[in-house]
Amino acid sequence: MAKRIEAVDLDAYYGGFRAIEGVTLTIEPKSITALIGPSGCGKSTFLRTINRMHEVLPGARVTGQLLLDDEDVYGPGVDPVGVRRAIGMVFQRPNPFPTMSIYDNVVAGLRLNGVKKKGDLDDAAEQSLRSANLWNEVKDRLGKPGAGLSGGQQQRLCIARAVAVEPQVLLMDEPCSALDPISTLAIEDLMTELKDRYTIIIVTHNMQQAARVSDRTGFFTIDGPGTPGRLVEIDETPKIFSNPSEKRTEDYITGRFG
Amino acid sequence: MRDTYHDQLDAIVQDLFQMSQLVARGVTQATAALTRADLALAEQVIEGDDAINALYRGVETQAFDLLARQQPVAGDLRVLVTSLRIVVDLERAGDYVVHLAKIARRRHPASAVPDALRGTVLEMGQTAQQILDKTGTVIATRDLELAAELEVDDDAMDALQKRLFTLVLQDGGQDIEAAIDATLAGRYYERLADHAVAVGHRVTYMVTGEHAEV
Repeated sequence: MAKRIEAVDLDAYYGGFRAIEGVTLTIEPKSITALIGPSGCGKSTFLRTINRMHEVLPGARVTGQLLLDDEDVYGPGVDPVGVRRAIGMVFQRPNPFPTMSIYDNVVAGLRLNGVKKKGDLDDAAEQSLRSANLWNEVKDRLGKPGAGLSGGQQQRLCIARAVAVEPQVLLMDEPCSALDPISTLAIEDLMTELKDRYTIIIVTHNMQQAARVSDRTGFFTIDGPGTPGRLVEIDETPKIFSNPSEKRTEDYITGRFG
Repeated sequence: MRDTYHDQLDAIVQDLFQMSQLVARGVTQATAALTRADLALAEQVIEGDDAINALYRGVETQAFDLLARQQPVAGDLRVLVTSLRIVVDLERAGDYVVHLAKIARRRHPASAVPDALRGTVLEMGQTAQQILDKTGTVIATRDLELAAELEVDDDAMDALQKRLFTLVLQDGGQDIEAAIDATLAGRYYERLADHAVAVGHRVTYMVTGEHAEV
């Protein structure tokens, strides 16, 4: 089930440096939210706080609340591994496990979760590859290495791998920045299909991509070097790109700064 | 690829087609209201403009949204920019239909059209309806030969307007109010047809990227 995400006064630190400050927002289930903003504005950092990937770095920590359907993912006793299982992630560079076949890549998470029956794994592999619009291209070579696919196919393989474990939320950090325009559009189409089942949050440098695919757009920025990133505004995407409430958003999306 | 976006583009064109049909039906009803002094029909036409205006706002909003979000280029860009102009033509055409119905309403229970002018006004109404039907087909099919025909049809409308004025003048100004109404009605039909011709030009540009001779 797709879940709702709510951040309440969230700060994230790298050691003594506060990278983001006071982020409060709500993301509804089964929607696509795009986060945009200049480099260093904290949008990727925010994304990584959602599935507790941020704290993997030494000295990194988070304050405030991050609720997944009212449950604080930073609550006492919450297992970060369980959080990451529920919240899948796709990265900028397609990162299939290089030594694994296409099939093994897709079912890797399921095997890790203890699924052993071949029938179950086969079903999940086909289902996930179909979800990622990749099945028809790879069904005859499931045993071949995932690294042998094109960049766009590899990224769809990573999406298949992420959805195979049936997460509730899908985080995408610049998922198309290493892809050509056609592969990019294929991923965008795929996102539109996936949002029927998942809550999707995408960080993108490509404002046009945010405009094309998302239901809501959040704009992050920094006041200057060394200052923390803040969420300037988040609103319906048509509103952000036709009549944003904040002048800083308008200046950014019209290319006047950033 | 980008199915949703292309569906939205198609929906805009579909709305334009629907607007042209509403205006075509409206002009037929307005003409009947004018020539038969039918108050109920006149009211119906006036109220019917709300539907046209709603489509107008819908097309504008949709086109704005697609321009802001989808970075339309080439043919898609021409469809959007052209649609934003066609929608204004059709909305204006709808307003002329309302003006016609308002003449009928103002003069009720008398007929706004004297017997001597009735045949010509009926002909103008029929011509307007045919032109608007053709305009709808041009929007839906992008048939450029049909679009070019609209110019010729407009010449027929101009000739009818000339004939109407001649008849009004022959009346010798005995009924000034009737003369003013007939002159205005003639003008509304003529303007309606002009907007249809403009739509034809815009569809030609939409398809070819070349501006029609104006």
